[in-house]
Amino acid sequence: MMTLLLTLALLWPLCIAGRAVWLSYRTPEAQRDYFSILWLSAAWPALLLAYAGEAQWVIDAWMLGGLWELNSLSRPWLAFTALLWSLAAVHARGYFAADQVNAQAGDQDAQRRLLRLSLLWPLTLLGNVALIIAQDIASFYLGFAVMTFAAYALVVHSGTREARLGGKAYLILAVIGEGLILGGFLWAAGEAETLTLQGVRESILLAEHGVWMATLLWLGFGVKAGVIGLHVWLPLAHPVAPAPASAVLSGAMIKAGLLGWISVLPLGEAAISPLLSQFGHTMLVLGLVAAFTAALYGVFQRHPKAVLAYSSISQMGMLTALVAMGLAAPEVWPLLWPGIVLFAAHHALAKGALFMGTSISEHLPRWPLPLIGGLMALPGISLVGAIGAGMVSKWSVKSPLYEMHYDSLTKLLTLAAVGTATLVSVALWRQWQQRQQGGSNGWQCGAWLGAIAAALLTPLWLPLPADTIAMPPTSEWLGIIWPLPVGVALVAVGAVLLRRSNIKVPPAGDLWWLYAKAVGAALVPVAVVSRECAKLKAASVTTSKRAEEAVMSYLTRLLAAESWMRHHASGLMMVLAVLLAALLMWEGQR
Amino acid sequence: MNAAWLPLSTLATSLFVTVVILALPEEARKLRTYINLLAAVIKLVLVILMIRRVAAGHEDVFSFQVVGGVDFVLRADALGVMFAGLSSLLWLCTTIYAIGYLEDSVNRKRFFGFFSLCVASTLGIALADNLFTFLIFYEMLTLSTYPLVVHSGTAKALNAGKIYLRYTLTGGVVLLLGTVLLYSLTGEHSFSSEEGLGNYLNDHRGLLILIFALLVGGLAVKAAMVPLHGWLPRAMVAPAPVSALLHAVAVVKAGAFGILRVIYDLYGIELSVELGVTTVLAVAASITIIYGSLRALAQVELKPRLAFSTVSQVSYVILGVCLFGPFGTIGALAHLLHQGLMKVTLFFCAGNYAEELGIHRIDEMDGAGQRMPLTSLAFTIGAMGMIGLPPVAGFITKWYLGIGAIQADMYWVVAVLVASSTLNAMYFLPIVHRLWFRPGPSHGKGSWPSEQHLGRLETHGWLLWPMVFTAMASLGAGLLAGLPFSPLDWATRVAIGEYLP
Repeated sequence: MMTLLLTLALLWPLCIAGRAVWLSYRTPEAQRDYFSILWLSAAWPALLLAYAGEAQWVIDAWMLGGLWELNSLSRPWLAFTALLWSLAAVHARGYFAADQVNAQAGDQDAQRRLLRLSLLWPLTLLGNVALIIAQDIASFYLGFAVMTFAAYALVVHSGTREARLGGKAYLILAVIGEGLILGGFLWAAGEAETLTLQGVRESILLAEHGVWMATLLWLGFGVKAGVIGLHVWLPLAHPVAPAPASAVLSGAMIKAGLLGWISVLPLGEAAISPLLSQFGHTMLVLGLVAAFTAALYGVFQRHPKAVLAYSSISQMGMLTALVAMGLAAPEVWPLLWPGIVLFAAHHALAKGALFMGTSISEHLPRWPLPLIGGLMALPGISLVGAIGAGMVSKWSVKSPLYEMHYDSLTKLLTLAAVGTATLVSVALWRQWQQRQQGGSNGWQCGAWLGAIAAALLTPLWLPLPADTIAMPPTSEWLGIIWPLPVGVALVAVGAVLLRRSNIKVPPAGDLWWLYAKAVGAALVPVAVVSRECAKLKAASVTTSKRAEEAVMSYLTRLLAAESWMRHHASGLMMVLAVLLAALLMWEGQR
Repeated sequence: MNAAWLPLSTLATSLFVTVVILALPEEARKLRTYINLLAAVIKLVLVILMIRRVAAGHEDVFSFQVVGGVDFVLRADALGVMFAGLSSLLWLCTTIYAIGYLEDSVNRKRFFGFFSLCVASTLGIALADNLFTFLIFYEMLTLSTYPLVVHSGTAKALNAGKIYLRYTLTGGVVLLLGTVLLYSLTGEHSFSSEEGLGNYLNDHRGLLILIFALLVGGLAVKAAMVPLHGWLPRAMVAPAPVSALLHAVAVVKAGAFGILRVIYDLYGIELSVELGVTTVLAVAASITIIYGSLRALAQVELKPRLAFSTVSQVSYVILGVCLFGPFGTIGALAHLLHQGLMKVTLFFCAGNYAEELGIHRIDEMDGAGQRMPLTSLAFTIGAMGMIGLPPVAGFITKWYLGIGAIQADMYWVVAVLVASSTLNAMYFLPIVHRLWFRPGPSHGKGSWPSEQHLGRLETHGWLLWPMVFTAMASLGAGLLAGLPFSPLDWATRVAIGEYLP
């Protein structure tokens, strides 16, 4: 039964992608429904699978040997990923309704865009599901690569100049990330002769150069997870992607990087080497730096989705710091990891709801404005930790840290929540400024409401191990809630103070522009060297050609000598005969 | 039981076809097609028979004495039938493709005659059991390929043919010199003998290194290692099926296969490591890999870009051989097959674009995915494989090479592999991007250079199906690498034979 469900979960998205192609060839363009109910169902088998229980599959014929597993970690992960994908798909049906009408009316461009999206969306989903289930390196890498490259279509969907830039940044960093991951995997797997992720964990723990393997893998997955320095694609790609695509990018796919870390780093192992522990501390610091600087930079952005992208970087910074605790303080990990999963799941749904909200504010339904505003704010408030699942998830990561007396980290995380609050308020404020009436769609709103509900109730449906999550005691509520009013107040004060001054908005993608300049400068000497090499090569070709001609002309002259010899053949023979005779005589005399 | 007829008849099939085709009149198009296809199928069946016998533990030998001390020997061993299997499978595909490609062109008799001869030589190279036999077929390959390279007869083609002959004949002379030196040192030496050349190590260390340099230097010309690769990008003027065959199995692979034979079967891997020649070769291969990728990046036409990609990819095989240990060997051998499948797919695609739409330059490929979806899909699969992305076969080899490098403590090789993957991505992904994501003539923007409607589907069926087959094979070889008789499985079998005799 489980096997059937697994097969269905993996094959169903493929079938739906196939159907998208079929549609474009066999159905008249006026009847093409790119986002039919069938298409919406792509993630449903995976969602069912997550709730069907634990299981393990070993498939020898699959690549280097397949090992797939549903365990206490991958089940909740699959559950929130599949749920977000399902909701985003429903949202997409509403979001692209107008485009679909155009396509059915014969707009070639719209047809092409929708075909591409409806084809590659299920493939991206497939990669995401596969990497969650996979426990062997090859399948994991396969899922990761499929997801990464198929998602390019989601980023560049609109085809504008900005979208192409976002897509370019996304792809370049993705390729760099893939390279780093490959290097890390090869190194770790080669040392330990292993083919499973479990083996990689052990290899990193035991190997002499374990810390370098960990660094490669951390950075490689960090491209997805938005590690500071490699995060530049997020604020470039998110604003240009369609809202449902941003939702899955920021909710589900970013989390794939996080899952990568949890799968390959030896978290919570007692026998951790001092170097690895050091690495954990570095990771912790960088995570916190990302959490704060992203908030600081993000609040100045104009585009609400760019603000939300920076909020994702900030949140992932917090998650990086929490994962780093598994290396820096292994004893806290068994208590901490369910909290991290809950944090990730809640962030996925809440961020999904926020991104879907940006499309709602562009097409406001005819509901009372305060109601809409309240609904928009709900996932944000929850993300800060003031209500619902956000509160539980904040507490579930803080309580183990309290228990083990990591007070400074909890304080810093609370401060980072202030950053979250400011970012969310700025995003909502920007949405308010840029709101537009009309053109709302039932599917769009329905998915959005569903995502809000799912975000607020995350602990209730997430299949985590029993008794790992608890509500915070009322005495701790104040400590979790206070960042929200402080953050909102900060934004209000800041807005009043900066009203007069005329500061320029820093460009989205911050370091990207620096990198682009640096690469441009580095290419100049390369061009010079290659030009010189080309010259050198041309010169050596001419030289050798000239040498060859010289030799050939010499040979030709020798041939000319031949006719002279023919002419004097008899005389030469005589000379030869005399010489031979002389030689013989000299021989005889000795 | 020794079935001596089996290697002989396999070789004779292609040779016989050559004679028949050259004897037939030019107009006998149908008959020629039937004979060609029949022979290709027969040969494939014979090779499969041979593979089954090798799997069952038999090694069929055919031999006779030419002069005293010099024998002509064909032997079906595991490594040989692996290469023979690749060549006969791809011969069938390329023959079908060539029939479609050369429809209504002139000189088809000459073309198919030498095409068969070329494949016969490849088979001879695969089954040759000593250096003498190997050399005969190696030179035969050089000469039989020349008419194919210059097939179109243009000045550019003739010039390319001249350069091709200069490179390969010089390489052949160097190889001959090495062979003569080796025979004078050791006498007859079979590839299948167990002892290797270890006995000569103490007295003739310098000579052994010299012979190795001569042999591998001669073979490296065909394997297109930098700086001896100059002929390969120029040979691009040949018709697409020739390029496909040249890059996937015949000439380039013959060089790489020769190097495999020299290191594994002539010197023995321990002796090669002892002499220190493998490290030098590994560095040369790494330079070739990076240099080929960099040059590919600079090309603006499709076929030269693929050619430089071959320069880079074939050296993976040589790099794998130089990594002491079973994983490197498995990677090298599997790549011999995988690269063949993927590269042949890419060249078929390039040929299809050129035939159907007149596309030669990369910037003309915008939006071709809409017009030719199957071809573009096959191209995408091939490109993903070259980058080394799963689930295409290229990933499997890259994985084994990387593991082999780590186990041989050659960490820099992993850096080379990662750099090469990144470079591959840099020159293949833009093409894939153009195919699928840029609007082009099929979206009403501009027009194709010279569009033809060759078939009911996106192009002529004869051009389409071989390409679909090889693309599926590249995908299957990666996705189901764990199955028995997959390229990886067979490579593992050969490698175990090398390391655990």
